[in-house]
Amino acid sequence: MDHILKIKNLSKSFGDKSVLNNLSINIERNKSQVIIGGSGTGKSVLLKCILGLIEPDNGEIYFNELILDKKSRADTDFHSKIGMLFQGAALFDSLNVQENITFGIKKIGEKTDNLKDIAVDKLRKVGLDSTVLDLYPSELSGGMQKRVALARAIARTPEILFFDEPTTGLDPIMADIINDLINEVIEEVGATAITITHDMESARKIADKISMLYEGNVIWTGDAKDINDSQNPYVDQFINGKSEGPIKINLND
Amino acid sequence: MNRYIYIIPEAIGRSFLRICASIGSIAVFFYDFVLCLITPPIYIKSLLSQLVRIGYNSLPVIGLTAFFTGGVLALQIYVGGSRFNAENIVASIVALGITRELGPVIAGLMLAGRVSASISAEIATMRVTEQIDALVTLSTNPMKYLVVPRVLAAVISLPILVIIADIIGIMGGFVVGTKSLGFIEQSYIKNTLDIIELRDVMSGLIKAAVFGFIVAFMGCYHGYKSTGGAQGVGRSTTLAVVSASILILASNYILTSLVFTN
Repeated sequence: MDHILKIKNLSKSFGDKSVLNNLSINIERNKSQVIIGGSGTGKSVLLKCILGLIEPDNGEIYFNELILDKKSRADTDFHSKIGMLFQGAALFDSLNVQENITFGIKKIGEKTDNLKDIAVDKLRKVGLDSTVLDLYPSELSGGMQKRVALARAIARTPEILFFDEPTTGLDPIMADIINDLINEVIEEVGATAITITHDMESARKIADKISMLYEGNVIWTGDAKDINDSQNPYVDQFINGKSEGPIKINLND
Repeated sequence: MNRYIYIIPEAIGRSFLRICASIGSIAVFFYDFVLCLITPPIYIKSLLSQLVRIGYNSLPVIGLTAFFTGGVLALQIYVGGSRFNAENIVASIVALGITRELGPVIAGLMLAGRVSASISAEIATMRVTEQIDALVTLSTNPMKYLVVPRVLAAVISLPILVIIADIIGIMGGFVVGTKSLGFIEQSYIKNTLDIIELRDVMSGLIKAAVFGFIVAFMGCYHGYKSTGGAQGVGRSTTLAVVSASILILASNYILTSLVFTN
């Protein structure tokens, strides 16, 4: 099987709180992998470790069979091969929509004349038109911010797209529109997608494969269509949103 | 009973460790800053925009402060000098006081209030809204993009602002001296020009460059290290202004006593 990303025995602690415990997971190329799990199970920390925003305590991450560390990320310009949609969009407040979308493209030396055309093209892909090019993030609605952030994420035609809670904070209709949009851009860009979410509707809609994290480890991985028949009591409790079951919520966390 | 004996030493130990951790963290941040400063790229557009924000936009605040400081200095020196029949020293003391001390210190403190707070709040907000993480994912070093242009802009701007503050401060003394205290205009100007030497102005400008660094660096540091949402943004802003103000006054004493006393 062709894996674009391999994570082996990843561990990360903050003080005496262990967040990732020897976590291992492989991500198939050109598939949409969704990682589900409750709050505090290590989803965001895993994502930040892959992106190089947090250094893991132990373990290895391989991208295209090459080990990812600080040096290799810089040498291979790893970040130019990925796109990331942040939970709150994370658009740059001081830049307008065009500058936000083309921010990463300028880094790879694209001619300035082409930037507007590229921004318009990416906006079209996320269902927006050129009228928003000169607007600033504060002038956009939450849904539009997510779309612009998605346009920025796909601007460099990445090999992997990361989505951090893509539907959080959106109304159900807008959440569904964003889910459709994610499916469309993944197909169009031809990228591998890794999404972390606890929104099961979103997970079912965009996933080829689903993994569930619990206490910093992967406790189940399977095809999205099999999630309702996982035979795993943790997965059953989570996807059905039951308070009774093996998952104990620590209300002090 | 024994437990209570250790309360005070424990508190002192914890504070000491916290201070050591802060110094270490600032030292590492400074090391990263120097590395980014000496390696390309330098974001020229960002630098120019910060020069406008930090330098040009601070002119009204610093100009007004300098004018009133010069005026009140003239009044106080006149009152003090008249006790020794030495009213004539007003122009000289105002000129020396403004150029050597008050110009750079007042400008530095005003910049700490205006610029350090705004830099810290802006970068802290970027931190809590993941904009700094977004920079990394877009192959951009946040230290190069956010910190270097701001610190460079402050180091360049503050000496220029201090030259302007010196001129306006001396003018404030001149206006009060001639319109309110009865000094003759020509003699006030002559006394001012006679007393000022190049080294007086230069010492103020060197201090200004150091204060500019402190103001922007502390703003960037506290903003960059901000945690804890909106409350963290507020805390980092307060810390930036307080630490920059204290460091300006402390470094002013050190610079004056070590370098500029002769």
